[in-house]
Amino acid sequence: MNMDKTRLDQIFSDAIEREIEAYEFYLAVSQKVTNPDVKKTFAELALEELGHKELLARFKSDPVLLTKINIPSQDYKVSEATELPKFDINMKPADAIALAMKKEEEAVRFYRGMAAISEDAEVKSQFEYLAGMELGHKTRLENVFIGIGYPEVF
Amino acid sequence: MTNSIRELEDAKVIFVIGSNTTEAHPVISYYIKRAVKRGAILIVNDPRRIDLTEWATIHVQHKPGTDIAYINGLMNEIFKNGWEDKEYLKEHTENPDEIREWVKDYPVEKASEICGVPVETMKKVAKILGEAKVTSVCYTLGITEHICGTDNVKTLANLQMVLGNIGSYAGGLNPLRGQNNVQGACDMGALPNVYQTYQAVDNPAVREKFEKDWGVTGLSEKPGYKMPTMLHKALDGGTKILYCIGDNTVQTEPHIAHTIKEIEALEFFVCVDIFPTITTAYADVILPDCAWGEVDGTFTNTERRVQRIRKVLEPPGDVRPHWWVLQELAKRINGYDLGFTSEEAVFEDMRRASTSYAGITYERIEDVGLQWPCPTLEHPGTPLLHTSGNFTRGRGLFHHTVHIPPAEMPDAEYPFCLSTGRRLWHYHSATQTRNSVGLEELFPEELMEISPVDAERLGIKTGDVIKATSRRGEITLKAWVTDRSAPGVCWCAFHFVEACANTLTIDRFDPVTETAEYKVCAIKIEKVADGVEPVSWVPRQARP
Repeated sequence: MNMDKTRLDQIFSDAIEREIEAYEFYLAVSQKVTNPDVKKTFAELALEELGHKELLARFKSDPVLLTKINIPSQDYKVSEATELPKFDINMKPADAIALAMKKEEEAVRFYRGMAAISEDAEVKSQFEYLAGMELGHKTRLENVFIGIGYPEVF
Repeated sequence: MTNSIRELEDAKVIFVIGSNTTEAHPVISYYIKRAVKRGAILIVNDPRRIDLTEWATIHVQHKPGTDIAYINGLMNEIFKNGWEDKEYLKEHTENPDEIREWVKDYPVEKASEICGVPVETMKKVAKILGEAKVTSVCYTLGITEHICGTDNVKTLANLQMVLGNIGSYAGGLNPLRGQNNVQGACDMGALPNVYQTYQAVDNPAVREKFEKDWGVTGLSEKPGYKMPTMLHKALDGGTKILYCIGDNTVQTEPHIAHTIKEIEALEFFVCVDIFPTITTAYADVILPDCAWGEVDGTFTNTERRVQRIRKVLEPPGDVRPHWWVLQELAKRINGYDLGFTSEEAVFEDMRRASTSYAGITYERIEDVGLQWPCPTLEHPGTPLLHTSGNFTRGRGLFHHTVHIPPAEMPDAEYPFCLSTGRRLWHYHSATQTRNSVGLEELFPEELMEISPVDAERLGIKTGDVIKATSRRGEITLKAWVTDRSAPGVCWCAFHFVEACANTLTIDRFDPVTETAEYKVCAIKIEKVADGVEPVSWVPRQARP
């Protein structure tokens, strides 16, 4: 590992900070929404973000672990094709999932952007792995959305 | 369908109800037969001894119009024995305690009395369903063509949620939708209340999107009428003009005499069809149309698979594809040019403003169709829905359904129950198949199926000419004495206009879908004359 250790630590610290922000966001909205299923979904998403935070802490102490995560081979871009739903205390489950996948999409875009402007190959690589990790989260949420987001209601 | 057709051959238990699969969906029936050959348990629930019963482990011959009592009775037995999927009920449903209480009103003994299925048979079926890892439920119009059709479907949904079978491979709730493209027609918004891919007419955001996309203003915020209401309103002037594309309305709606009155009350009636029908006889203007082999386009089948169809013949004379005709009408009525130059251009315009079709292009389905939802060009399509166990509303909601007797039950004057449907050899009102020499040869006239018990009592044998009469009309046709029908139940199809079931059927409708109760009405049967032709061909040719 040739990259400056302090710089690498900073990348992971920032990533952890993003997960904490996401955790706080989901926790806050889970307390505001009225639909019990949406409440539960947001509470579960908050817990997931805590899990991501723990994972990143492990990567921070051993960055090689990050290179071993599974990155989806395909990006179906379902999130990109979906409008960001407005937050509403009466929002429906599909909108809750859509909101979450849009946040993951934003995270993917952020890390890819960071990778693109990084000149150091190792820094670039770490950001690409982080983007891949977030892509995995996005894909999982997209799969949930596909099952519930296109109702045949008439 | 929540699942895909091919999954059926991997199913371990298949519960078919209200579906004459071998005749109405012969291709799908092959997958069911393959599953049976691989050891699957097949439970066929049908008032008739349809041919699929020969492949069935159990044939449940319940009385027409008693599906809710029967299925609620099964659920009661499932709960009573602790066979429900407790984990699924806890994690994925909203009100499991309510369904448990509701079905207590249907102990198997009471349900058996209503539906006519022996208690032991009901217990056996409940045990198979309760102990199966996954069961696939398939249903068709035998479930929906009742005044309680919506509740019938909800009851089946309740059953599959109680068993935790939604979202599972080779499970799910699978309406085998009729016709080659009824799924596609609905997907395209050929419904009174939605635009393509079920975008609601009364949703302001949806309206705004389409107004912007089409460069128009003032799209209606009110859903239109469903077909029975549309026709009914002709009688009081609420419907003045009817533009009817490829629908033989007179022959296919219930109570033909009443339908004719409704159509005659219209101020202007346009029919679009490929051959003359009884309906075109009432039209002020008849426009020709291309047949399916004369146009490009897509069909979407019951598993949500969008498939290409291709033009193989030039249409006769000046006949044009109907998208072109509609475009010309738009120009002449209000000067609006839709600007389409091909079928693909129409599809592209639809796709871009759709949700679940947005990733489907002609290029992508050149060889093999894609199943929606397919929202992006990168997406591979979706063979199985609800895999997370969740639903659009979040957790699944059980509905309280109760047995409602059919609108018209047999009585002293009209002692038989008439049920209706389709035959293998003909398609819908037979506009196409009766213009096919081979098919007409194979099944040239309608027959009234009547049980041997009833036939003996009435002195009727196969081939005799009989008269069937309901409170709405009468038809004369030949009898087919067969144990396909249970005693007290007769059956015929609506393919032959000269002896059409819909002369007899009742114009009572499900309040939500406005689907008519084609499956039950009361008739009487009288022998008119002895059979004069050899009738040995009947069972051979009538059965697939």
